[in-house]
Amino acid sequence: MSQDYRIGGGQVDRTREITFRFNGKAMQGHPGDTLASALLANGQKLVGRSFKYHRPRGVFTSGSEEPNALVQLRSGAHQEPNTRATTVELFEGLSATSQNHRGPLEWDLMAVTDLMSPFLSAGFYYKTFMWPRAFWEKFYEPVIRSSAGLGRLSMQNDPDQYDKGFLHCDLLVVGAGPSGLMAALTAARSGARVILADEDFAPGGRLNAETLELGGMAGADWAAQVVAELVDMPNVRLMTRTTVYGAYDHGIYGALERCTDHLAESGGKPRQILWRIYSKRAVLAAGATERPIAFGNNDRPGVMMAGAVRAYVNRFGVTPGHHVAVFTNNDDGWRTAKDLTDKGVEVVAVIDSRDKPAVCEVPGARHVRGAAVMDTVGRKGIKSITLTDGQVIPVDCLAVSGGWNPNVHLTCHQRGRPEWRDDLQAFVPGGALPPGMAVAGAANGQMTLAAALAEGQAQAKAQLEALDHTVANVELLQAEDEPREAAAFWHVKDSKKRAWVDQQNDVTVKDVKLANREGFRSVELLKRYTTLGMATDQGKTSNIAGLAILAEEAGKTIPEVGTTIFRPPYTPVPMGALGGRARGKEFRPYRLTPSHKWAEENGATFVEVGNWLRAQWFVRDGEKGWRDSVDREVEMTRNSVGICDVTTLGKIDIQGRDAAEFLNKVYANGFAKLPVGKVRYGLMLREDGIAYDDGTTARMGENHFVMTTTTANAVVVFRRLEFARQCLWPNLDVHLISTTDGWAQFAVAGPNSRKLLQKVVDKEHDLSNEAFPFMACGEVMVCGGMPARLFRISFSGEMAYEIAVPARYGNSMMDVLMEAGREFDAVPYGTEALGVMRIEKGHAAGNELNGQTTAHNLGMGRMVSQKKECIGNVLSQRPEMVREDAVKLMGFKPVNPAEPLIAGMHFINRNAVANMDNDQGWMTSVAYSPSLGHSIGLGFVKSGDTRKGEILRAVSPVHGREVLVEVVSAHFIDPEGERLRA
Amino acid sequence: MPEFSLISAPPLAGYDETLGGIRLRAPEGLAIVSIALPLGGEAAAEKAVKSAYGAALPEMGQSVLAGDARLVRLGVDQAFVIFDHTEPNAEGVVAGKLKDKAYTTDQTDVWVGLEISGAGCREALERICPLDLHPDAFAVNQAARTVMEHLGVLIIRTGEAAYLLLSASSSAGTFQHALHQSMKNVS
Repeated sequence: MSQDYRIGGGQVDRTREITFRFNGKAMQGHPGDTLASALLANGQKLVGRSFKYHRPRGVFTSGSEEPNALVQLRSGAHQEPNTRATTVELFEGLSATSQNHRGPLEWDLMAVTDLMSPFLSAGFYYKTFMWPRAFWEKFYEPVIRSSAGLGRLSMQNDPDQYDKGFLHCDLLVVGAGPSGLMAALTAARSGARVILADEDFAPGGRLNAETLELGGMAGADWAAQVVAELVDMPNVRLMTRTTVYGAYDHGIYGALERCTDHLAESGGKPRQILWRIYSKRAVLAAGATERPIAFGNNDRPGVMMAGAVRAYVNRFGVTPGHHVAVFTNNDDGWRTAKDLTDKGVEVVAVIDSRDKPAVCEVPGARHVRGAAVMDTVGRKGIKSITLTDGQVIPVDCLAVSGGWNPNVHLTCHQRGRPEWRDDLQAFVPGGALPPGMAVAGAANGQMTLAAALAEGQAQAKAQLEALDHTVANVELLQAEDEPREAAAFWHVKDSKKRAWVDQQNDVTVKDVKLANREGFRSVELLKRYTTLGMATDQGKTSNIAGLAILAEEAGKTIPEVGTTIFRPPYTPVPMGALGGRARGKEFRPYRLTPSHKWAEENGATFVEVGNWLRAQWFVRDGEKGWRDSVDREVEMTRNSVGICDVTTLGKIDIQGRDAAEFLNKVYANGFAKLPVGKVRYGLMLREDGIAYDDGTTARMGENHFVMTTTTANAVVVFRRLEFARQCLWPNLDVHLISTTDGWAQFAVAGPNSRKLLQKVVDKEHDLSNEAFPFMACGEVMVCGGMPARLFRISFSGEMAYEIAVPARYGNSMMDVLMEAGREFDAVPYGTEALGVMRIEKGHAAGNELNGQTTAHNLGMGRMVSQKKECIGNVLSQRPEMVREDAVKLMGFKPVNPAEPLIAGMHFINRNAVANMDNDQGWMTSVAYSPSLGHSIGLGFVKSGDTRKGEILRAVSPVHGREVLVEVVSAHFIDPEGERLRA
Repeated sequence: MPEFSLISAPPLAGYDETLGGIRLRAPEGLAIVSIALPLGGEAAAEKAVKSAYGAALPEMGQSVLAGDARLVRLGVDQAFVIFDHTEPNAEGVVAGKLKDKAYTTDQTDVWVGLEISGAGCREALERICPLDLHPDAFAVNQAARTVMEHLGVLIIRTGEAAYLLLSASSSAGTFQHALHQSMKNVS
C-alpha cells in the first residue's frame, strides 16, 4: 500500500521508512508517526468495529482520548488488546490487528447486531433477558459474554517485565504543552528540582499540532528549543511517554512510563515503570480535549475531531481526506479549515452552527451559517454529509469541533468538583484542588496560547515562592490570543438517525433520553444505566455531551446536573505495571532459617509459614508418604532425641532497670519475681481481655530478659511492646530490640537430649537436672568457647532444651548436633512432627489462640493475675467472658480408634440434632498420634472441664462425616510432666 | 581440643557483583552492636560513647565515622555501632568500651549488609527505595530506616556514591535479588 494521504511538512523523519503490518497487510510509515497517522497515510480509514453494534469505525482523535481506533498490538504472548492506535509510536515490524469482528474487518458477521439496534437500547439486558428465568445463567449470560468485549487476551503469561520506582521533586509539571513547558522552564532556571512528564513521545503538546507562533518562531521549534535546554539541566527530569495518571495524598502522584513500547523488543529491560512521584508542589498543565457534536451517523470512519485532523496535517504530514468539510460550533474549528487549505488540502465547506460571519478566510470553501450536519452516508468511510438545510455535500472526511473541555481529571482525584464556566461552555477546575496543586493553561480554561504561557509561568512562580524559592525571570515571548468563542451546541435535534454520544460504548442520544425518561436522572445513574463513559476511554470525548443532553431533557442547567466523579487512572494502566516485579516467587520476600541449607541437603520438604520457609518433614528412603516421615520423627524423638530449627520464633531482647516491671505489665501472669537464670511461660492479652500471644521469657540478668513470641506474632508483639514502652509507660527504663534473626535456635527434645548436649556444651557447664533443671536458662559456651544460650523448655512434652548460637553458625550447629547425636540415633524433625507432639502434650498454638479465645477458654484463667496492673486483666473479667459454661480447651479421642478426626468438626450432644442451635463447640487441631496409635484432637467445648468422659458427636457437614468422640484431658502424653523434669 | 567446632557461614558471604558500573557487595566481618541509652542516664551514656570512640553520638538520622567504627543514631535512645570484627563477641567488646553506661545487644547476625556504589547506584536504588536520595536531601553520613520490596532496611550514605544497606539476615537472598534486579534494570 502506498502513502496516498501523505502530504508535505510535519515532524516525521521522511529520510527513513518503517514497514509495519495491519491485519497482515504491509504498510509504510516514518519515524515520528503514530500507528494512527501511518494508517491514515496509507488510506486505511476502517480500523475496527464498535463494541455493541459492530459499526465500522476509524481514527477519531489524535491522542489518548481515542474511543474508536483500538487495535490488538503485537502477537503471541506479547499481544495487547484495546491499544489506542493514536498513542502507539510506529516502529519497524509493528504488527497490529483490528478487533471485535467475526470474519474479516470489512465483512463482520456480528454487524447484524446493528440491524437489531431498536431492541438493544440502554438497559436491554435487564428488559430482554428476563424470561425464562433459568436461561439467564446458562444461556443468555454466556452468549452475551462471548459477543461482548473488544480485544482478546493472549491467555498466556505476560512475558514482559515491569518495574516500579520512586521519584522526588520540588515541582512536578504534568503536561509538556505550552503552559507546562513555560512552568518547567521557569522552575528549572530558578534551580528547583523539576519533573516534567508528558504522555506523548514528543513534548510540546498542541504546539506540535498547530501553526501558532511564539516570538516569531514556530511553536514546535520553540518547544524543541525549551526541551533541549531542559534536557541538559541536572535539576530537571524530562519524562516523555509518561502519563501522570493519579493525584494521591500528600503531593504524591502516580505515573506510568512506557519505556520500551516504542521498540520492537524490550531487550530484557522493564517494558513499563510505575512511578510514585513525591512532589512538594505540582502544576497541572494537562491541556484540553476536544468534544464532538452528536448528529445522525456521526460515527462513520472519516468523521473526526477537527483538532485531530489539524494535528495529522501539521504534525504528521498526513491528511485524513482529500475533500474535507468542517462542522463547528466555535471559532477554533475554523483554524482547522485554514490550516488544511494552507497545506493545499481541499476544504469543501465550513458549517458553523452559529449564524455569524467567517472567523477567517478559507479559500475555496463554502461557508454555511447557522446550519448543522444532520446525517452522513458511507458504510466503511464517509462519502457525503447532509445538512439541516437539505444540502448534500460529498466529502471523504468531516472535521467536527464541539468546543474544548479542560482536562480537569487530576484536580478531582481527591473529590474536588469542577465548576462550570458559561463563557467556555465547559467545566474548569473547582475550588478544592489536591493540596499543593495549581492548574495552568487550557486545563484551567486558559484556552489561548498567550494566556496559557503566561499562566504556566505565573503558577510555577507562585508554587516556588510558596516553597521560599527564589524565582528566575523568564522572558515571556510574544504569542497570539487566538479567537476561541464557543456556543452551546451539543447535538443536532433535527437529526432523526442514531447519533452517537459515547462511541466506544455505543451510547446514543436516544439512550441518554431513554435513561431520563425511565428515571435514571442523576448523572451517576445515567452513567451506569447507559454505560456512558464507562469504556477504557472513560468518556473523555463523550461525558460532557452526555450530561448536556441529559440537562436539556431534564430541563436543568449543565452545572445542576454536574459531572460524574473522576477517579484514577487518567488512562488505563496495565495490570502488569501495577504488579511490577511482584510475580510468582517474587510476590513476597522469603525468610530462610539458619539451617536451611542443611535441611535442603537432607530431604526436607518446606512449608511457607508467613514469609518463612520451614522444614515440614525430612523424608527417608522407603517412606511412601508424609505420614511415614512424620510418625517416624515423632517416635524417634520420644524414644531418644530429635532436633528442630525453631529460629522462626520471635526473639525480643529486653533490657533496662524496669524491664521486670514492664514484663509484669504486658504479661497476664506474674513476671516481677522471676529469678535470674529462669524461664517462665507467659500469656499476653489484648486490652479487651482476649488472649493473643504466648511464649517464654528468660531472665538472663537482673536487667536483661529474652522474650520469645510465636512465629506469626513476632512483629505484632514487638510493635505492641514498643507502643507500651513509648506511650503507656514512658517513665520506665525499658529498651527493646529484635534479635529473631540473630540467633539460630534449635529444640533438642527427647530422653537423650541432655546426653547429646553434654557432648556439645563446653564441659565447665553442669547440665545435670540439679544444676540445670526444667525452666532453667543461661549463657553457655559450646564447641570450645563459642557463645551460646541454653534454655530448658519443652514444647514437645519431653525432656527438652533450646540452644541458640549466633545465626551465622546455625547451619554448622545443625551438623554438629546431628553428628553428636549419631550415637543416640538423633533425628531432625519438621513442623509437622512439632505440631503432632504439641497436640499430644496439649499445648495451645495459633489454632487455639485464634483472636476469639480467652485465658478462661484456654483453661488458663487462673494465670491472669488480678493482683497487678497488666494489659487486659480488667476486661478479661467481664461477666460474659468468665461464664461457667464457656467453652474450654479439652482433648478428644475417637470412640473407635480407627476413625480419623477432622479439624473444624463441631461438637453436638449425642442425642441432639446437628444444627447451630445445638452447637457445643469445635475441634481446633487434630493429629494422628503415633504414641497412642489413633487420632487425637484439641478443641473447645462448652463447660468442657466438667464433661470428661462424656461421648459427643463430632460432625463435619462440609465433609459429610461424623465421629463419636470422648472428652478427655488435653494432655494426652505425660499429664503430670514427669518427662519434662527428668 | 573440643570434639566439635562451628563454622561461620553468613548469608551472602563473598558476594561481589558489578553491573553497568554499579557495584554491589556484601562486606565481610561487619559487626553490629546496638546501644540503648538508659532513661535518666543519657548524658553519662553519651559521655561514655564519646570517650570510647572519640566522637559524640550523632543526631538522629545521622552517622559518624569514628576510627574504624561507624556510630549510627537510630532513635532518641538507640544507636548502632558498626565495625569490622569477625569474632562472635562484638557485644562484649562494645559493652567493655562503654563501661556499662549503656545497654548493648549483639545485632551482627540480625542483619545482612550490602554496599552499593558507583555512579549509577542512586538510579538503581530509585527503583526500590522510597526515600529521596538526592545529594542535597540525603548527605554523606545520613542514615534512615525505610522499606524496600517489603523488607525493612537501614540505609546509610557512606560516600559520594556509596550506600551501606542493612536488612534482615533471614531474607538476605530476597534483598540481594531486589538490588541485583534494580541494577540490571537500569544498566
